Amino acid sequence: MPPKPCALCLKSRAMIKRPKTGQQICRDCFYYVFETEVHNTITEAKLFKPGDKVAIGASGGKDSTVLAYVMKTLNERYQYGLELFLLSIDEGITGYRDDSLETVKRNQQQYDMPLKILSYDELYGWTMDAIVSRIGRKNNCTFCGVFRRQALDRGAAMLNVDHIVTGHNADDIAETVLMNIMRGDIARLGRCTSICTEGEDTIRRSKPFKYAYEKEIVMYAYFKKLDYFSTECIYSPDAYRGHARAFLKDLEAARPSAIIDIIHSGEAFEVKEEIKATQKVQQTCQRCGYMSSNTLCKACTLLEGLERGMANAGITDRGTKQLLQVQQSEVTAPENLRTIPFFNKPFAASGSVDSPIIIESTS
Amino acid sequence: MSTSCGNPAVEEDALMMRKAKFDRSKQCVKCKERQGNIVIRHAVYCKPCFFPLIVARFRKTLEPVVNPKPDGPRKKGLKASGSLVIGFSGGVGSTVLLDLVAKSYFHAPSGDEENAKPRGGSAHPRNLTGKDSSIWKGIPAVCYIELSGVVPGSMDKIEEARKIVEKYSVQEGSFSFDFIPVRIEDAFNEAWWAELEGVDLSTAARSLGIDIADEFIPLSNLPSSSTATSTPLEALQNYLSSLPTQTAKESAIQTLTRMLLLYTAASRNASHLLLGTSLTTLSINLISGISQGSGFSVNEEAYEEWTHQPRSLGAESGGVPSKVRIVRPLRDVGSKECGFWMWWCHLNAVGKKRLASGKQSIVSLARDFIMGLEQDFPSTVSTIARTCAKVTPKQKSDTTCILCERPAQHDAQEWKARISIRSYCDEAFKDSGHPLPPHLNEFPQGKEIAHNGSSLLATKLCYACHTTFTSRSSRGNMTGKGGDHSISNVIPLPTWTLTTVESEILASRKLDRKDMRKQIQDFILDE
Repeated sequence: MPPKPCALCLKSRAMIKRPKTGQQICRDCFYYVFETEVHNTITEAKLFKPGDKVAIGASGGKDSTVLAYVMKTLNERYQYGLELFLLSIDEGITGYRDDSLETVKRNQQQYDMPLKILSYDELYGWTMDAIVSRIGRKNNCTFCGVFRRQALDRGAAMLNVDHIVTGHNADDIAETVLMNIMRGDIARLGRCTSICTEGEDTIRRSKPFKYAYEKEIVMYAYFKKLDYFSTECIYSPDAYRGHARAFLKDLEAARPSAIIDIIHSGEAFEVKEEIKATQKVQQTCQRCGYMSSNTLCKACTLLEGLERGMANAGITDRGTKQLLQVQQSEVTAPENLRTIPFFNKPFAASGSVDSPIIIESTS
Repeated sequence: MSTSCGNPAVEEDALMMRKAKFDRSKQCVKCKERQGNIVIRHAVYCKPCFFPLIVARFRKTLEPVVNPKPDGPRKKGLKASGSLVIGFSGGVGSTVLLDLVAKSYFHAPSGDEENAKPRGGSAHPRNLTGKDSSIWKGIPAVCYIELSGVVPGSMDKIEEARKIVEKYSVQEGSFSFDFIPVRIEDAFNEAWWAELEGVDLSTAARSLGIDIADEFIPLSNLPSSSTATSTPLEALQNYLSSLPTQTAKESAIQTLTRMLLLYTAASRNASHLLLGTSLTTLSINLISGISQGSGFSVNEEAYEEWTHQPRSLGAESGGVPSKVRIVRPLRDVGSKECGFWMWWCHLNAVGKKRLASGKQSIVSLARDFIMGLEQDFPSTVSTIARTCAKVTPKQKSDTTCILCERPAQHDAQEWKARISIRSYCDEAFKDSGHPLPPHLNEFPQGKEIAHNGSSLLATKLCYACHTTFTSRSSRGNMTGKGGDHSISNVIPLPTWTLTTVESEILASRKLDRKDMRKQIQDFILDE
């Protein structure tokens, strides 16, 4: 059989079958359409304006490595005028995060971007290794997820950036839509397909890979020979998410457009007004100043639970109640309890960031 | 491990603590007297309490939407604006629905001793039964859609279904449901359509199909071989076998079934079409629909109002659009409860074969997934339905899909084009002014799209129906005859879509003389 020409340029030989469209295209056209689609996502949602300082949440994994590469490429090609930074969170997982951070450090040199690493140990006084040794593997992903979200915002505040971009891809978003429907999380269902989220006092956060298939990200990294770290976290993945992911993979195998179709569905609906009215109003954590739906934010609750040896606080309703009872029975909180430093609103004043910018040198 | 019984031969599993399937005790939560017989989402019920529970859920869903206008806080009598049609597939849900409707509105009470004395006396409007029941106008009908034409190796079950429906006839009360058998291939049957809607398709419309190898889905003439001798069954089989995926095939069957039921209901001036969708089936439909991109019509899965537009020429002048409400009164009743109702009432379902598609289709994947959930996490199934009831479409719909006749979004095609570039020759891509790919000196000159804008059906379909026609499988040549996307793949259209095409597109094309002249200008000599 003669070689098939690329379905897009009709010239070069088709080398890959595009997971998203099923078209057989050449490698160069694949790079081009992949990057152009990310550019379309960015421009359609008006994510940036010239001069913006943007932190790329970098874990060393495929998504963030490709994101850093593509952001740099597009910034030059379309002259976005962005100042790009790499921001990494060190959860403190020996044999996993310390290795992946080495990849991020190499990326820093390859892409010539400043890098900031912020550790859980520095911020919360606990590494994930220490947390797992205290609470076991059950629910450890809850701690990690809650702590990471806040750590990224705090790291971004330290870098004094306007915007954080993360490597969440189409598969992640489709999976979240399904998961939120299955567990009835109406608040998250309403916002999980938004490309950009911004609280009153948090930094804009967006997902330029919202419509990029995970398979295409891997394909891009593979053909571009990008340097990334591909090991799964050594502490077990979230079981519930794993359930939804397995189902999504089956759907994708049956019809590859399922991923994008689920996102389209998620974008088509919103929470009814009368239901919105019953949802909790966002407030500020009394202890650390971060956004919260209760007087104490989730991270502070989890941290206090860890400090007091009550690991279920913030995990189960019962655990949270027990913590509340202990708090109410005390006149003043014990002094040796470690707490999270107060979160100052970004850009409130030039000198009000948590700490001076300490950026790893490009050596 | 403790072996307190002292028996060393005991199996390890026998000592495992099994999670209790119910909350407190084995006593019925309702009467608090009898020992329970069934566990419904962790709550225990005894058999006598089970029946009123299901009846209450059934009525609670159906009765608020019977009257044309909601009653407000004070409940008045039930009076529908039209007749009643029940969609009967022969499955568990619709068998229970038929039984419930017959016993609740058209029959003597179920024989259940406790319910023998109707509340408010037998003269109370709520308790009028059989021919006295005046909730719906005319004779209620049961419509059965025979799918043997599309399920390989399955038998014709029309007579079996008829017998089940006839069991509800009451000799002394001279009551019986009208039984209306419809075959799935009637979706392509011009005679059926003419009888129902009084519309004769024109010769031009009869030869029309759509080319699904093209993303824009242009109208195209069917190959002459497939129009001249084609029977409705052949047209249906041609339609289904040309669809690109197994998902598309199953979803197309669901859409055709729904539309056949709706047009049958409209032909009987029905105000209500009742379907036996259980809570479990509703959750399956929701997850399956969302996975196929029909999030915009997520509310329609639970309850919808369909507007019937009279099509015949005579009706055009005086025909008033009518509304059919599609109600799923069992949407709060799980499939397990339906199964128990059947078992305890000694009902039989029409045993039918399903399309065996395993992991190849989203519809069956969703079914397997939800059925698995129902066994292990019964609350998740109801959570799915409850969550979906809390959302609403973001934008108002200004169009209706010409295939499934559900509300559609107008910008679905632009969305698709933006998030995945499929051609460098598209107008949208050209207009966006993207720089050239580094390996090209110029954009390729692809074949110009020579379609007349009005004859492209892509813009007249909802996202999910467009995806059904165009989304391909990842495996090999799954596009049926059109494995090679450059070869056209023209398939026939169901009669209602053809009629819409004829009235909306062909009629408007007639007026477009400029376009006509453009097509023939090479053959016109200068005057």
